Amino acid sequence: MCDSITLYGVKKVYDSRNGPVHAIGPADLSIRKGEFVSFLGPSGCGKSTLVLMVAGLLPPTEGEIRIDGVVVNEPRTDVGIVFQTPVLVDWRSVLGNVLLQVELRGLDPAQYRAHAVELLESVGLGEFLKQRPYELSGGMQQRTAFCRALLHDPPIVLMDEPLGALDAMTRTRLRDDLEKLWLGSPKSVLFVTHDISEAVQLSDRVVVITPRPGRVEREITVDLPHPRDFDVRQSPEFLGYVKDISDIFMQYGVI
Amino acid sequence: MAAPIPFDTERYSQIGGIFAKLGARVKASRTFLLATVVFVVGWELVVYLFEIPSYLLPSPSNIAVEFYQNFTIIWRSTLVTAYETFAGFFFALALGIPFSLGVAFYRPLRNTIYPATVALQLVPKIALAPLMITWFGFGLTSKILIVFLLCFFPILLNGILGFSSLGTELTYFLTSTGARSKTGFLKVRMPAALPQLFVGIKWAAINATVGATTGEWVGGDAGLGYLIKFTSGDLRINFAFAAIVTLSLLGLFLFYLVVLVERQLIPWHVSQRSTSGMV
Repeated sequence: MCDSITLYGVKKVYDSRNGPVHAIGPADLSIRKGEFVSFLGPSGCGKSTLVLMVAGLLPPTEGEIRIDGVVVNEPRTDVGIVFQTPVLVDWRSVLGNVLLQVELRGLDPAQYRAHAVELLESVGLGEFLKQRPYELSGGMQQRTAFCRALLHDPPIVLMDEPLGALDAMTRTRLRDDLEKLWLGSPKSVLFVTHDISEAVQLSDRVVVITPRPGRVEREITVDLPHPRDFDVRQSPEFLGYVKDISDIFMQYGVI
Repeated sequence: MAAPIPFDTERYSQIGGIFAKLGARVKASRTFLLATVVFVVGWELVVYLFEIPSYLLPSPSNIAVEFYQNFTIIWRSTLVTAYETFAGFFFALALGIPFSLGVAFYRPLRNTIYPATVALQLVPKIALAPLMITWFGFGLTSKILIVFLLCFFPILLNGILGFSSLGTELTYFLTSTGARSKTGFLKVRMPAALPQLFVGIKWAAINATVGATTGEWVGGDAGLGYLIKFTSGDLRINFAFAAIVTLSLLGLFLFYLVVLVERQLIPWHVSQRSTSGMV
């Protein structure tokens, strides 16, 4: 497997009214094609910034990001992005929101309709295609956002705390949905979270980020079989990973 | 292909929805009608019971009689005022929307025109009315320009606000699709801006008759504003009231015209979702 995304000494410093704020870095990292990598850290550690830089939506202050050897210096269009909020538009149906992804790219939505319906059905939204986002629960809205991020079959998916705004029960359901979607078509996923067991369940590798300025504290490869269902999550191995990572944050006094 | 949607159930639920909506609207308008009747009857009673002289406050029935007797002159005045109101309003729409687009998306305009317009916004437009008469005469042009001034700024400012406040994350999403600016505008930016733009348009609709009336007061020889000034100067308060009621109806007509268009264009917006919501 070859490296798909590589970060060389990437650092971001924001200008603010109270002077420069060092958000993250310098960070060196490489992510293989099809690998699911979680960025785990306390809030404000700059992990969202990292994801936006990989998407080319924010320029790094120092360093360089390469995707398949090409330097990222403008917004990438071969990515799918999911944010903490669903960011759907109210003037379109669920299906229309998913198809917006290809319509904005100037592609013919009719050709993607079947795939969009298939994606929505796979996350249990088959009966809600014609509903408007505001008629759905938060969890259903976020599932719609997942489908929109995957419709154009991007090789890279960026997720910025996609489960962060949901209640505990919905989170558990959506984690399983996400795992299923990823197993169905493995993509390079950069997944930002502050939930330790979420990171362990979903990831091939967990990148632990320190409090601001965020630095890569440790990289932990999670060697557990997929799907990591309820039984796997109760296993001593799974809990061992969770404990190891918790210990790191305890040292930092974050938890 | 996806399985066809069960056609009849979908259809039924839609028809049911239309009936429910219609029912709710009839119910709401019935309440409104009742309140209006109570108000008018109450007014009539107060005038009658307290023997208020009609040169201070005429009763609704007196106003109705006056309206009937002077219908021709009121109608002719209404046409004049309506012309000024609509011309100024649509002129403001035609200039305000493109201008707000320019300011929102074109930096040089934002840095030059925008601060100037905000400064101009602070000038009470009505204070300019006498100047307009001096510059453009007693005819329709000066009135239309005053209406324009009163309508332009709400449209401009709300348009700018609407077009330039797309959420950060939605903007990121839009950017990540590499959408051409025209596509992104038509499919995302414009629909997202419409609710705010309509705030401005409704505000302008309310201002429009104010502008026309002011213009006619300051210098005019026709229109409902002129009629109100003229008749109340003669202490023909019944007549003045008949003209005031007509003027209010004209304003309401324009306002509800805008509301009607808004309902068609943004039925998805939170303000439009239930009939019990505000207009």
